[in-house]
Amino acid sequence: MLHPEYMAKVTIIGPDTEMEKTIQALHTMGVLHIVDHVKKEDLDIGAPMERASMLSDLLVRTRALCTASGIKEAPLPAKESFSLDAIGKEIRNSEKKITAWQETIRDSSSEIKKKEEMKEKLAFLGPLQLNPELLGPYESIDVFAGYLSDVDIFITDLKKLTQRYHLAQFGNKIALFVEKEKSKDVQQLLSRYIFSPMDLSLLSGLKGNISENMAALDKAIQLSVQQKQKVLEYLDEFKEEHAQKWLKYAFYLEKELEKAEAPLKFAKTGEAFIIQGWVPEQKTEKTVEILNQATKGRLYIEKKQADKKDIVPVELENPKAVRPFEFLMKLYTLPSYKEIDPTFFLFMSFPLLFGFMLGDMGYGITSLILFWLLKKKFRQASAFFSTLMFASLATIFFGALFGEFFGEEVLLGYHLPHILSRADQLMLLLAVALVVGVIHVNMGIVLGFLNELKAHGFKKAFFEKISWIILQIGVALLAVSYLHYLPISPAYGYIVAIMAVVFLYIGEGINGMVELPGIFSNILSYARLMAIGLASVQLALVINEFAKEFFHAGGISIIWGILLLVVGHAINIIVGLLGSFLHSLRLHYVEFFTKFFKGGGTPFQAFGLKTYGG
Amino acid sequence: MAVDVNTGIVAIGAGLAIGLSAIAAAMAEKTIGAAAVGAMAEKEELFGKGLILTVIPETIVIFGLVIAIMIIGMAG
Repeated sequence: MLHPEYMAKVTIIGPDTEMEKTIQALHTMGVLHIVDHVKKEDLDIGAPMERASMLSDLLVRTRALCTASGIKEAPLPAKESFSLDAIGKEIRNSEKKITAWQETIRDSSSEIKKKEEMKEKLAFLGPLQLNPELLGPYESIDVFAGYLSDVDIFITDLKKLTQRYHLAQFGNKIALFVEKEKSKDVQQLLSRYIFSPMDLSLLSGLKGNISENMAALDKAIQLSVQQKQKVLEYLDEFKEEHAQKWLKYAFYLEKELEKAEAPLKFAKTGEAFIIQGWVPEQKTEKTVEILNQATKGRLYIEKKQADKKDIVPVELENPKAVRPFEFLMKLYTLPSYKEIDPTFFLFMSFPLLFGFMLGDMGYGITSLILFWLLKKKFRQASAFFSTLMFASLATIFFGALFGEFFGEEVLLGYHLPHILSRADQLMLLLAVALVVGVIHVNMGIVLGFLNELKAHGFKKAFFEKISWIILQIGVALLAVSYLHYLPISPAYGYIVAIMAVVFLYIGEGINGMVELPGIFSNILSYARLMAIGLASVQLALVINEFAKEFFHAGGISIIWGILLLVVGHAINIIVGLLGSFLHSLRLHYVEFFTKFFKGGGTPFQAFGLKTYGG
Repeated sequence: MAVDVNTGIVAIGAGLAIGLSAIAAAMAEKTIGAAAVGAMAEKEELFGKGLILTVIPETIVIFGLVIAIMIIGMAG
């Protein structure tokens, strides 16, 4: 808590013969964040193990199978190991089977398409009453089949060309038989009459009349469809049966590949390898012990404390209740290793500010139930919903303080007790909001002081951070004397304020001068605690007022009244939740964090563990 | 509900204070928001920073609201 997990810098040096064992042990433990070695003239990076290319090939193919089977949900990573030969064999077999089936499906599909086309052509010949075999080919006759618009005029022109022809016609469908020697002229004539030919070559070789052929084609199509269906079923069954196994393979291969490619991160001399990285301090003892066991003490392992220049990977470390709020930290940026981890302060104040804004028992209870259900449904986002459940609890608490239940202060004739009424005591609410702001911002400044104290010593920390607090005191003194709350001369205020400005100039230079008004706009910004709450209360009251009028009207209007209540409050809750969440988050990110937090930490990613924090 | 002219003018003043500052905040946020969404499309981790930058001008409305309340308060 308050500090990320303490890390120790570890250097492991060993002979090549022990590399594989070392990698295996490190991968199983999943505690070392390896710092990639940068290639230098005297120290090259390691080469991946021989099996890496085979592994990556297998992995790609297994993933392709997984994708083909449409499976996405990963099973829980089973710690099974498989023989690579067996996987390779099985994957190849599966690929072969699937490819063969897919080919059959493709063939059937094209067969079906072809038959359908033939049916279409036959349907063209049907009204012309020509059997397919009549279409030739002939030695001395050419056949033109297709659509022609002005058949009658065409015939008169055709007769001028030749008398020896046969024409079968139905509407604008024609089949024209002419001598080969005249066919060129006829073609020219046809093209003048906008003739669109029909390619009947598919039908060549068909015997028998049209209806017989149609029946035969129908039967063939049916057969192909059945066959295709059957293969599709096989395929689906096969995929379903094997998908889980493929996923396991993919997972296993991924892990193996990670190991095989690990030497790329190492430094390498002729006969030895060097690994540099970070291990959580409390796990170093155990890590060294296990490594020594695995390699029979043939490794040289060196542990060192992080020094100031090191970029140390950050793993947040918080009690269980606080942990969900790490999500809000990661949303912004991870703290760097040297500074205070603000997750705990988020845990303390985020729900409070949220609750102050929404502040309604009814809304709090509704959102608590809502987020509880959502948390159960969406497990991946459970941290997010946990933070919102804390916020809902705070909402109920503040609802009790304000004596509000769905905007109403009077429930069934009973006046809810309250400490502060948001609807009536506006100025008091504003004052409370600003006091919260003063406390929160100054808390940030004190944290900033502690950070600076650790990083740069007391003097810098004092001038940079404490001068802000002195400045506030100065301005407060001025306000008190000018508004005649206390009988003191404004001179005191001026002296303190000017002192603070001088300190700030020493501490932050010209930057500090530019930011002078910033601190007050930061504090004033907390007025939103009042503003957003007020908007939510007023909207709730308006909804209730309207609904009451409907209820007084009686009869069917009561239904409208209920509908108005449900829809109105639902919308108000959604708007209120969104507003309270964003603004509470903003008050932390912009007003609070800027006082002490720098961030920009690199996440700790242990070799062997799949994802950070996952 | 009869309201005298002076009260009406005070109410208009308060309304202008908050209305105009809201327009100003909206104009500022429009530009920032568009840029932030663009940046997020490129790099999703920028959500936190984008959110902060987008809501910074919101303080303008809060100032407007405070002024509005003060106007009404002063008028009694």
